[in-house]
Formats: sequence, C-alpha cells, structure tokens
Amino acid sequence: MRGPAADRPARILAVWCPDWPEEPASRDEARAFGQVVAAVEDFCPVVEVLRPGMCILGARGPARYVGGEDTLAQKIAEAVRARGFGCHTGVADGQFAACLAARAARPRHAALVVPLGGTRQFLAPYPVHALAGAGLAGPLTRLGIRTLGDFAALPARDVASRFGAEGTAAQRVARGQQARRLAVGAPRADLSATVEFDPPADAEPVVFAAKGLAEQMLAALAARGLSCVRVRVEVAGADGQESARLWRHDGLLSALAVAQRVRWQLDGWHPAPAPPTAPAPPAAPEPPATAAAPSAGPGETGAPDGESPGGIASLRLVPDQLVPGEGRQLGLWGDDLVSDQVERAAVRLQAMLGHEAVTHPVLAGGRGPGERAVLVPFGDVRDARLPADRPWPARIPPPDPATVYPVPLPADVIDAVGAPVTVTGRADLSAPPDALTAGSGPWLAITAWAGPWPVTERWWDQPNATRRARFQLVTEDGTAWLAAIERGRWQIEARYD
Amino acid sequence: MRDGISQLKGLLPGYSPDALRVMGETVTGNTAFTEDAVLSRASVLPALPALAGLLPAGGLAKGSVLTVDRSGLLCLALMAGASAAGAWCGVAGVPDLGVAAAAGMGAEPARLMLVPDPGPGWPQVVASMLEACEVVVVRLPARPPAQARRRLEGVLRRGGGVLIAVGAWEGAWVRLRVTQRSWSGIGHGYGSLRACRAEVVAEGRGTAARPRRCWLWLPAPDGTVTLDETAGVPGVAVRAAW
Repeated sequence: MRGPAADRPARILAVWCPDWPEEPASRDEARAFGQVVAAVEDFCPVVEVLRPGMCILGARGPARYVGGEDTLAQKIAEAVRARGFGCHTGVADGQFAACLAARAARPRHAALVVPLGGTRQFLAPYPVHALAGAGLAGPLTRLGIRTLGDFAALPARDVASRFGAEGTAAQRVARGQQARRLAVGAPRADLSATVEFDPPADAEPVVFAAKGLAEQMLAALAARGLSCVRVRVEVAGADGQESARLWRHDGLLSALAVAQRVRWQLDGWHPAPAPPTAPAPPAAPEPPATAAAPSAGPGETGAPDGESPGGIASLRLVPDQLVPGEGRQLGLWGDDLVSDQVERAAVRLQAMLGHEAVTHPVLAGGRGPGERAVLVPFGDVRDARLPADRPWPARIPPPDPATVYPVPLPADVIDAVGAPVTVTGRADLSAPPDALTAGSGPWLAITAWAGPWPVTERWWDQPNATRRARFQLVTEDGTAWLAAIERGRWQIEARYD
Repeated sequence: MRDGISQLKGLLPGYSPDALRVMGETVTGNTAFTEDAVLSRASVLPALPALAGLLPAGGLAKGSVLTVDRSGLLCLALMAGASAAGAWCGVAGVPDLGVAAAAGMGAEPARLMLVPDPGPGWPQVVASMLEACEVVVVRLPARPPAQARRRLEGVLRRGGGVLIAVGAWEGAWVRLRVTQRSWSGIGHGYGSLRACRAEVVAEGRGTAARPRRCWLWLPAPDGTVTLDETAGVPGVAVRAAW
C-alpha cells in the first residue's frame, strides 16, 4: 500500500437535496430528511448524514453491484426524486469533491461522475473559499492564490510551514487526496460512551445529557491522542425500538456538534416530542418540498407515527473513523475559560427552557430594522443568510432603533381632520400625518415626520414579497417611531427611544 | 505578587495572569503592582465615558442593581460599555431588543446571550445567566415579588454581577431615566432622524443620593453616545443637520 493509491481517498457518492436550506435545519426539516436517507439506504446500508439535505456513502461496493458508478448515481437520484424531493448526486475521490460534484450537476443533470484520478483537475477552477475557512482563504487570496488549482500546485512543505496542520489537510483535499490519514488499526479499547435513562426521558433531557456524554467520549479519545470525524449515535426507546445513524462532520466533531446531531436524530425519530401536539399528525408541518411528496413509509429509523413510546431508555455514542488529534490553540487571554462558563450556563438554560429559547444574535443585512439581526439558538453555528457588509440601497438611514418589534404593532395614523392617512401607488401622501396611536396606546400628536420611503422587496417571490411605504414619526412625548403602511394598514416596526 | 495574582484570579475568573498583571500596571501607572488599586478598579465594570458622570463609581459597581425606566437606548448604552470591554452580557425578557443599535454603541453581539421569553421562572433564569454574564438586563413584570428580588440580590453579592432592571426595583443603587428629549434632522415631511438630545437623571441611595443630571446625545449622529457640549450654554439652538 505505497504510492498514490494509498493516498487516494475512497470513491464517495454524495446525495444533495437542494430543497433543504444550507443552515442547520429546523426539526421538521430534519425529520423529513429521514425519507431521503431511507431511499438511499435501499442501495447501501451505510449512509452518513452530513446535515439534513446532504448525505454520503462509499460508492465502490454498490457501484459494482448495479454495474458502474454512473448507473448508481442515476439510480439513487431517481429513487429520491420518486419520493418527491429534488435531488442531485455526484461521485468523486473524497467527500469534499463529491459534494461539489453533486452541486455542479445541478442545472442540467441528475448526476455527475468525476472519473477516477480526475478529482484534482475537477477542483482546480473552484475558488479557495470553497474549501478553506476564512482564516486560511483570506491570507491565500491576499497572496494571489485564488483557485484550488493554484493552491494544490504550491509545494507541500511551504504550505505546512506557513499554515500548519490545517493548511496541510486543506491542500491534500485540493489535490484530491485524503485530508487526514486514518489512524491505523481499530481501537482496541471500547471508546464508546453510554448513558441509561431511568425513568425513560424525553428528547430535551436526552440532548442535554448527550453533550456531557460527548465531552466524556472526546476526553477519552483525547487521552489517547485521537479525535474523530464520524460518530455513530445509537438510541434505544423504552419500548425496545432502536435507531442508529452515522453522522460525519467536515471538521472535527465538538461536544456541541455531537449534541446537535443527536437532536436531529431524535427529531427524526419521535414524530412529535412536544407534549402539546395531539397524537402526531402524519404530515402536519413539513417544508414546502414535502407537501407534494407521496406519503412515503417511515424510514428505517421511524417509530410508527402517532405512537408515543414512553421516552428514551439509553443513548450510546460510538466514535468512528479516528484520526490523530492535532489539538487546538487556546486563546491568548483566556477567552476559552470564559466561553466554557458561558456555554455551561447556556446549556443549563436550554435544558430548562428549550433549545431555541436561548439565543445569541448575528448581525445581518437588510433594509428594515427587523432584518438587521438574526437570533441563532445558542450552540448552533450559523451565518446570516444575508451578509451585513453589503450595500443595502434604500435601507433606513442610521441611527438604528433601540426597540425592534419582532411582530409589528398595529397602528393608526390620522391627518388634521381625523381621516386616515393613505399613500397612493405613486407614493403620494393623502395629507400630512397629525396623530398616531400604536398598539392600544393613547393618541399622540405628531410633531415631526419624514417619508414616505417606498420599498418593494422580493416581488419575484410572491409569498414573501413586500410592498410598503415607511415613515419616521416623532410624537409629542419625544419618542420617534418607524412606521410603515402596507395594503392600507399602518404598523409600527420599531421605536427610537 | 504571585499571591495577589492568584487572589485576583478568583475574583476575575477568565482573565489570564498576564492580563491581570497588565491591568495592575495600567491602573497603578507603574510596574510596582499593588493589589488595592486593582481591586478597587476591578470592583467596577467600565461604562461608556459619556455615562461615567451619571454613575457614582464612574462605572457599573459589581453586585449592584441599576434601574432604567424603559428598555431603550439608555439601557443598551449602560450595557454597551461593559460589553465593549470584553464582558458577556445577558438580556432576559426583551424580545424587541435592537441588536443593531446596541452594536452601534460598541456592544459586541458575539458576547450577547438573549432569552427573549424567560417565562414565569424568570428569577431562576436571571440567576443562571448571572453565573455566566457579568451584566444582565431584565425586563421586570409589573410587580416583582420581594422574595425573588432578595434572592437575586444575594446572587449579585456573591457573584459580583450587575443587574440592569427595566422597571421598578426597591432599593436599587442607581435609578436612571430620560426626562426630556428632542430629535434633530427631521422636519415636517423632510429629512430623517439623525440625532437625539436627551436629558438623563440619575438618582439612588448612598453615594448616589444626590440626583445627577446631564444632557447626552442619545444617540449622536454616528450611533454612539456622547456628552452634549452645548448643554448649559443658553440660546444655542440645535441645528437640524441635514
């Protein structure tokens, strides 16, 4: 096992469903993806889910069985499409290239197969941002290295001395090689971690326990100088049902990342863990993509809908695909200590109030004040869908309001004679505004105002289209308001106070 | 010296010994590190310079409760100074927090923890947040039970956090409110909101008993908070800048 063959990663087939958003999905979306996994598992029992919307499998064995990688890729795409989801597949050397191949197939073909050994050539035109995080791509771009082809052509020794282990791994991927050499030999000791729940627990406490369990597992691995890129989550219900799934992560799995994957798996398993829901409507809240789907049977993981199997009895995490642990650099000023403390408090609060009740904000782009920040559940990593550092013509000029209503307050604005103020299609005002009432508050005289500022957004996307005219109003009590009129109705979007 | 650092480390978890030594040198102005100077400074979290005059200690005294009349810019400004200096801030019960405005005043969104709806168990939620965050903002229900207040005051004394309560809190260290404000930049059908001149009054107990008042730009045209230099000079009209 010397020479290039030892370095070449396995042939990987990636299944990509564009209907699922890039970001970590909601629980309904995670649940619906179970159907796709079930369809893919008809071809190969070992399917690794990267995130809802993307999964991979080793292509070599199944391809030999159905008669070629092309046939396999086509058949899997057809099988998933038969269940009513959009799907593209790609085959290449290694996971990264396979995922890109699935995306490259998108406009015209269902599947794209990069021939054996052609991966480096296939990756060459992609920008370095596609592969590397900002910490690596930024310096590379400034050095004039813009594509993966340029990056792959750099001498490996120079990359290693300048960018360290992370850079070396990235360059190996860009060259169509395996990012990290797998740790040789199966681990002799049992490195899995198990927790039993007595009495059986609901999803929320199990996810809470999963984080502690993952920390325990990672600590045991770290003590042996290892870390893992794939973890097998095994859940057993009180009624004897079991669910096992492989989860892979692009980087190395952290304890929080493992807990999040346990959550996805449980969401897909117990159709309605939330107590207020009545005995689980079979196709209640699902993403638009599944609305038209023929009702596929529950996947391999599925407990039959409507059954409430008395909770979860045990959870087991098995580390899989071990790689040598390279450690990570701690912050210079002890930031890690602080965030550890914060993380613990956040997890405790989430156990108390639910995962989505504890959030941290991410600044985003947009014209209205409500679009300027996105609240992300603590522990999830998510970038704003619309970046903040782009020009947003017609955005509300600064300063930003201190109070932004998540749901706009209904309001009324009248002119001097008491008639409602309206705005015509050509943005002409019926009369100057004179008084305002917001929510159920009292009438306040308007002392200054500016507007109308018409905004027409997303007219190409009817359900999400908005067409409104915004005003800034200052009332007699010194408060300033950001008001908008849409379809003849006034509402207060924000308050400057 | 070594002892001083390890003692401080207990008081300021999360700071490295180097940071503490630099802090000691900065405070005392020389490299002869004296603990007292650091301790007195370490018992106050920094506030924005414009607000320092309103607060008796020149900052947010650890273990204290401050109140503001509403969750507006003043409340965000109180939090922003500490956040900009590296503190974690928590906000409970304010679903309509203007994150962009807070960021504009210097708060760091990456160090914010929001619990928009803490529910009826809010005292427990706030106590948990105080374990992780140095400053916690909470919008109080109409009448916070005295028992919950006493319990949180105990948590603050032990942990050294700062609670900024939106609403009424009996025995608060400082009570801040905006008494007057006037917006500039906007007219009758023209311009846009640009800056606001606001009079802020601070009252309290102990060293804060004497009411302090000052005029601030809340916000200034660039979204920050600054002292209004023209205050006290009669007859200086605020020009509508447009």
